[in-house]
Amino acid sequence: MAYTRSLCGRPVLAATLLVASMGVVQRAAAQVYGSDSHTVTVTVATINVIQVSAGSVSLTITGAGVVAGQDQMSVVDQSTSLLWGTNSSNRKITVSTNLVGALFTLRLVALNPTQGTAMPEVVLSTVANDLLVNVGRTSGSCMLRYTGVALASQGTGTDSHTVTFTISN
Amino acid sequence: MRAKKGHSSGMRKPWRLACLLSVCLLALASTLSEAHAQISVRGGNPTLSITTGFPGSEPIPVVNVATSLRYRRQAQIAKITVTTSCPGQSFTLKVLATNIDQGVAAPEVTLFQGMLDTDVITNIPSAGFVWTNATLQYTASATFADGNSAELGNDVHTVTYTLQVQ
Repeated sequence: MAYTRSLCGRPVLAATLLVASMGVVQRAAAQVYGSDSHTVTVTVATINVIQVSAGSVSLTITGAGVVAGQDQMSVVDQSTSLLWGTNSSNRKITVSTNLVGALFTLRLVALNPTQGTAMPEVVLSTVANDLLVNVGRTSGSCMLRYTGVALASQGTGTDSHTVTFTISN
Repeated sequence: MRAKKGHSSGMRKPWRLACLLSVCLLALASTLSEAHAQISVRGGNPTLSITTGFPGSEPIPVVNVATSLRYRRQAQIAKITVTTSCPGQSFTLKVLATNIDQGVAAPEVTLFQGMLDTDVITNIPSAGFVWTNATLQYTASATFADGNSAELGNDVHTVTYTLQVQ
């Protein structure tokens, strides 16, 4: 009897009406008609890009300005620059030449890098040398200063270098 | 007499109660079913892959328009909002609704972890209950400083669109 009364009595009816009305009120208040989702994935590949700003560089030692009695002659070119972008951490830029047995000395240094640290001037060889270090996850640029050096005792001739810049670990 | 009357009244109440509960359950089921059906994302789960970049600049953004929204006009002027869940997000993802049949595109929305619901389509006309579509234009971008997926992992967004009254 007690069970029947509680089930059929006013408290249960009132509670049911309350729940129903709460549902209606909630629906009206939220005013949400529906929703749906999907998954969107973004992947970023390892990107290492590097570019020299201009074409060929020509350094010509003519003897102009050479001091008599001095063996070493040099010429400087600062017309090109290097641009790069890397999204990997702990990267550096190295430089090398393809020319084996060069007659004369060719030196290179990075000037005013916007990112990273320039290493001291390097003599180009077929072995890669560090030009810039600590360039990880950056986009930057620097000027390239080439210095061609010849000794009077080395005579005349032409060295043709293909200089390669590489972003590496 | 009084006892009989009370008994007769008690017999009627369970029926009333059952009917009321049935109506409530039907209303609830209808509401849930309706909520599910009023908007859907179509075209699956896209992946945007950034693979190239310019020296001295930044990686090239990638655009994807392979997915769309299908939604229904409602009894009141409505809008669609967007939000995302992407723990440990590293890269940038934006969405813009284009080719909208009904409603007005909101400005491009940048999706980021912890964002509030943000309008993506507004002023969807009321009445008619017409089904309509909009293209989802996702744009993924990253800077070199943001890093890459090999070191940081992919960004996996669960993007949720909600159709609601404006």
